[in-house]
Amino acid sequence: MKKALAALVVGTLLAGSLNAAEKKDPRLELMQDMRTMMDAMEQIQRGGLYSSTDEMKAGVKKLQGTLKSLESEEVKTILPKDQVYAYKFAQKTAQMLRMYSDDMIVSIEAGRMDNALDDYTQLLKQCTSCHIRIRNW
Amino acid sequence: MDRRNFLKVVAGATVIAASPSLIRGNLYAADGTLYKAYEKTQLVDAAGKPIKASALEKEVTYIFNYPHASTPCMLINLPKPTTKDVELTSEGGEKYVWKSGVGKERSVVAYVAICTHQMTHPTPNDSFIAYVPTAKKTMAYEKSGIIVCSSHLSAFDAGAGAKVLGGAATQPLNSVVLEHAADDTLWAVGILGSDKFQDYFKSFRPELKEFYGGPAEAKKLVSISAKTVKLTEYSKEIIQY
Repeated sequence: MKKALAALVVGTLLAGSLNAAEKKDPRLELMQDMRTMMDAMEQIQRGGLYSSTDEMKAGVKKLQGTLKSLESEEVKTILPKDQVYAYKFAQKTAQMLRMYSDDMIVSIEAGRMDNALDDYTQLLKQCTSCHIRIRNW
Repeated sequence: MDRRNFLKVVAGATVIAASPSLIRGNLYAADGTLYKAYEKTQLVDAAGKPIKASALEKEVTYIFNYPHASTPCMLINLPKPTTKDVELTSEGGEKYVWKSGVGKERSVVAYVAICTHQMTHPTPNDSFIAYVPTAKKTMAYEKSGIIVCSSHLSAFDAGAGAKVLGGAATQPLNSVVLEHAADDTLWAVGILGSDKFQDYFKSFRPELKEFYGGPAEAKKLVSISAKTVKLTEYSKEIIQY
């Protein structure tokens, strides 16, 4: 019984420390954010193609939830080392993502779906623009 | 055609030949020249006083909006005279000729400050596109004294019609055709090159709404005068790599 309890404690501590280490690595957080962004973009596109404004709005909410780290100075810690100097560009991209996604909500509320879908196109363009720059495509 | 009408046509043609700025619309000459004339507009400072070519600081980027209320253009007094009669090619393969800079030293140039790659442009918040003075270094090209778009590091030859020197851009920046008057004042009269203004209005709709109030205001054509200020006054932050 004691052995089992000890193993449980050690296991919990190990899992906790691994979790803490994972949380401390901003690059892992960025990778997670990027996956969430991709999901969000897919959700917006799905909403647009299936005429579901709720789905589009949910996608926007998900997307905006990932922008904080890119908009802040924290972005310096998550960019590849050779691209840290370009952090202003990444910040600008995040600001543009916020602007187009905010406009998408305004357009949906106003029933201007052509503008909302234009915003989707611009969001995708911002994603590819940043990837071309930061990943040296 | 009677005698009176004939004289009217001849007089009209003579005036246009003397002053190209009186032409409105697209011109595609036999040699492929691509030029669109807009309202002849005087460049003035923030107080409304005419800008004099000889008073422009060397190698400083100035900004004025032309031909639309929201389309920013760069005005630069280069350190040396520009090249003459530069043959340029648009994205669509159209050939056209950029004549030269203006002013006593032929060193004053103006270009539309919207990058031809992904339309990066100066805003009141920031600018990723500007002239890089000869004393500064840039990552975009081996030498300075050029225009650089720091978004994707496109480089343009400021002294040769903004020809592409490097990076992802596939056509020169559009040129603003300037007239230099006898009293040293500067006037914008048209745009040379294949412009992307309609794409710009469409792509930056939310931004133009924020800064200009809406698409109609943003598209409004500039007339009479265009306020010209240093880029450092136009944008809060200048980012240059």
